[in-house]
Amino acid sequence: MQAPGGSLLSILTGVDLNVNAGEAVALLGASGSGKSTLLGLLAGLDEPTSGEVVLLGQQLNALDEDARTRLRLGKVGFVFQSFQLLPGMTALENVDLPLKLSGIANHQQQAATLLEEVGLAERIDHLPRQLSGGEQQRVALARAFAGDPQILFADEPTGNLDPETGQQVIDLMFSLRDRCSTTLVLVTHDGKLAERCDCIYRLEQGRLMSAS
Amino acid sequence: MLLPSFVYRTWQSKALLILMLALMVAVTALTSVAFFVNRVDKALVLQGSALMAADLVVQQGDAPPEAWVDHAAGMGLKTSRQLVFPSVIFHKDEPLLVQVKAVDENYPLRGSFEVATMQGVTESAPPRGQAYASPSLLNALSAARYDVQIPIGTQQLRIAGEVKQEPDMSGSLFQFAPQLMMNYADVAATGLITPASRVQYRFLVAGPVDAVERMRRWLASRLPAGAKIMGVKNARPEMRQALERGRRFLELAALCASLLSGIAIMLAARQYVAQAMDGVAVMRTLGMSTSQVLNYHLAEISRVFLLGGLFGVGAGYLGQLVLYAMVGDWFGGQLPPPGWRPVGLGFSYAFILLGGFSLPVLLRIRNVPPLRVLRRDLEPMNVSAWLAWGVAATVFSLLVIWQVQDWQLATAMLLLVAAIILVVVVSGWLLIWFLQPHRGKVGGVGIGIAALTRNPALTLWQLHGFTMGITLLLLLALVRVDLLEIWQGSLPEQAPNHFLINIQPADQLSLYRWFDEQGIKNSGMYATARGRLVQLDGKAVNPDQYTDARARHLLQREFSLGFADHLQSDNRIVAGKDWQFSAEKKAGFSVEARLAKTLGIRPGSRLTFDVAGQLLSASVINLRSVAWDSFNVNFFVQGNAAMMADLPAAYITSIYLDDTNTSRVVRKLAQDYPSVSLLDIRSMLNRVRTIMDKGAMAVESVFLFTLIAAVLVTLSAVQISREERAAEIAILRTLGANRKLVATAMLTEFGLLGLYSGFLGATLAAATEQLIADRLFGLEAGLNIHLWLIGMGGGTLVLVLVGFLVMRSLLATSPMRVLHSR
Repeated sequence: MQAPGGSLLSILTGVDLNVNAGEAVALLGASGSGKSTLLGLLAGLDEPTSGEVVLLGQQLNALDEDARTRLRLGKVGFVFQSFQLLPGMTALENVDLPLKLSGIANHQQQAATLLEEVGLAERIDHLPRQLSGGEQQRVALARAFAGDPQILFADEPTGNLDPETGQQVIDLMFSLRDRCSTTLVLVTHDGKLAERCDCIYRLEQGRLMSAS
Repeated sequence: MLLPSFVYRTWQSKALLILMLALMVAVTALTSVAFFVNRVDKALVLQGSALMAADLVVQQGDAPPEAWVDHAAGMGLKTSRQLVFPSVIFHKDEPLLVQVKAVDENYPLRGSFEVATMQGVTESAPPRGQAYASPSLLNALSAARYDVQIPIGTQQLRIAGEVKQEPDMSGSLFQFAPQLMMNYADVAATGLITPASRVQYRFLVAGPVDAVERMRRWLASRLPAGAKIMGVKNARPEMRQALERGRRFLELAALCASLLSGIAIMLAARQYVAQAMDGVAVMRTLGMSTSQVLNYHLAEISRVFLLGGLFGVGAGYLGQLVLYAMVGDWFGGQLPPPGWRPVGLGFSYAFILLGGFSLPVLLRIRNVPPLRVLRRDLEPMNVSAWLAWGVAATVFSLLVIWQVQDWQLATAMLLLVAAIILVVVVSGWLLIWFLQPHRGKVGGVGIGIAALTRNPALTLWQLHGFTMGITLLLLLALVRVDLLEIWQGSLPEQAPNHFLINIQPADQLSLYRWFDEQGIKNSGMYATARGRLVQLDGKAVNPDQYTDARARHLLQREFSLGFADHLQSDNRIVAGKDWQFSAEKKAGFSVEARLAKTLGIRPGSRLTFDVAGQLLSASVINLRSVAWDSFNVNFFVQGNAAMMADLPAAYITSIYLDDTNTSRVVRKLAQDYPSVSLLDIRSMLNRVRTIMDKGAMAVESVFLFTLIAAVLVTLSAVQISREERAAEIAILRTLGANRKLVATAMLTEFGLLGLYSGFLGATLAAATEQLIADRLFGLEAGLNIHLWLIGMGGGTLVLVLVGFLVMRSLLATSPMRVLHSR
């Protein structure tokens, strides 16, 4: 990356990471250590300047933006720290969107079931701004698991929540993950949360160290 | 240095920059128009002045006192004196009625004057002992051109030239005999002027506008009874109408530009507030009071005002220079430089637009809750929508009224804006309601439809911007052409350019045959007689009872009464019953509406005229408007044909002669019908036509600015939703939506918005065209189906293109931003 002064800035260096199917991996690290950047690269949201990323058996470097998008469709789920729900859409519409994009037949029914599963059956017609932070993140979880993705990327999913609500969301995320046998890549700086994963990596100044 | 730091700080804030640019474009558009209109206006007034040969003319029965000349000279004004009177000259023992016009050395003060002499063309008044003849006089004299000696009173004058071009034509249109122009100083020696003579003195004044206006006021308080002041604005009715119509077209164009600019400001301010909210929440958290926060932002806005105003006025001046370079030759390089007024106007516009259109939106800042630092989705409580719109509407109304200074036009414009807002709100909700069931559709179309329905307020804002833009552009681009064509069509290529007057009843039929033989088209013959209004509703009319100078003047002179069973095609009844005298066999008058208003005449009023000693009495059947600039034969007061049976009437007609056969026809007419007088109105006709053409071109150039303003409105409207859209696209892409789907969604959204705005815009423009044509210009406009085709097609095309450009820039943003944003 080009720094404002013109010099080159290395965000990630010598990262070699293998995540097996069904595995839950935690990426720990301080702010600015490159966690989110690594997550973006793994999910194909960004391109590395050098090196290669293989997602679900597909070499991402060989794919253009649209091909990467197609790869994500229905197979990759996301949960973000700031929820990233579409503000103009109701809870149901937000969950329904990826199902609709994947062309699933009874998408609306499935979306409603998922919301029921995360305990928001009564709130399906609410807009994001009418929901609390915890509720919004539960909608985001329902959306992330819509269509049974093979892999879920979660970026500080509890970062915007109080500990109690955060705990509830994490419990929910792991129970959904167990039910769907989804591979999980979790970015966090919460050591306790990381411990629930099969494998923990620590990022320090752009370098990846194995912690467990 | 304050200015560079202001520029730098504004440049640093994207939202302020957009607001500043919106204001700058608004002010540029307005001041370019103002500067240019100011110059065109001056040119149009000069054209009007040229037709009077002065800026101000006083007409009266006595010689203007020396004090007037001295006072004018003291104010730096030029003056000239004229004397007009009828006289009979004898040529080869034949008497010939002529109109003598005596002018001094200063003649003319305005306009061009050309005389062909033996020595070539001259532009100065006849020297002492010499006279110039009108072409019709030379024909009547059947003189071997110049150098004829003619007796006038006790003097002998030598005809030294033929008047080819003359700015002012004396007297009323229908009082003409062939004209003889002589030197003012020679008149006394002719012995023709006695205290009882029917003469008309004219005192001509010209100079700077302010001084002329001061002179007008000075003269008004000293005017003797029966005297009349004529300014450019109350010059001939034909001229006045052409000037007023030209000015109205310009004002309409300028108003459209200003309205669009206001909308751009409003949209940009909304964007500014949306972007400022997070910062406001932080300021509030840090302990700044509501008023401190508001003051901080008002200071920012003041900077925008200063920069927008300064750059806008500067660019406006440059803009009109470019415009002048482009179209200057249309005005023969004669366009006078602009005054300072547009500079003041520019800053006033900036203040009014920014204050009126952004302040209500800015007030939302007061209501941003500090909690927003924790919950970004907390929106400030809305200021009352009524207040926001109320302030903007009031400010805009004042701007319109102040700018056009014409209640009728201002009201029409404001009603139009109110109608657009109402139509957009109602039909916007209808659209959202109609689309609601379709938002679940699979694929990009469904997402595009959902985008329109999920944020109704945003959709309505955008719909307002686009519809307003399309309506005004259609009005200016198409309706302008329609109206100008109708207007110019009212003066066709072969409009009558000569009037034939004093046709005796016995000659009427043979003259019709004569026209056929010569292949000359005529506008039909109208009987006319001269009469003085002596009674109104049975009471004797006393000019002194009227305070209005024009009313007094009208009552002191004789009217040309017309008699026919039909009205001219350019007449329109504005009050009273239809003109069906033949059917009713009943006597009655039809009176020109403006004259009726001046004299307090209503339908049903009883008028009595004294026509050569006979009293002619009848009720007013109706009032009508007259298109004086059509150059058809028209009368202020018209009676039905039966009323003239016993009156000493003569006939009048107007004909068109092309340049190649004019002199032949004029000579032949003088030989065959010596009693018929021919009045050449070609120079007046050309001037009216020039004003129409120049007015049309000026409007077309003003249209360019409206176009720029419309583009800005579109950009601002799109800009409002840009942030939201960018985030949405990033999320969609993260969830697996491909480019094609995002593109389909956006093009569906923008396409539908364009199609619908186009439909609404075309409908509103068509309705407005009817209204404007009918109410403001007194013209009839047909329904133009192309409005809808162009409105909807153009609206869709432009917005799809805009959508495509927006999408291209947004798709270039990596979906990674969803990880980094917020």
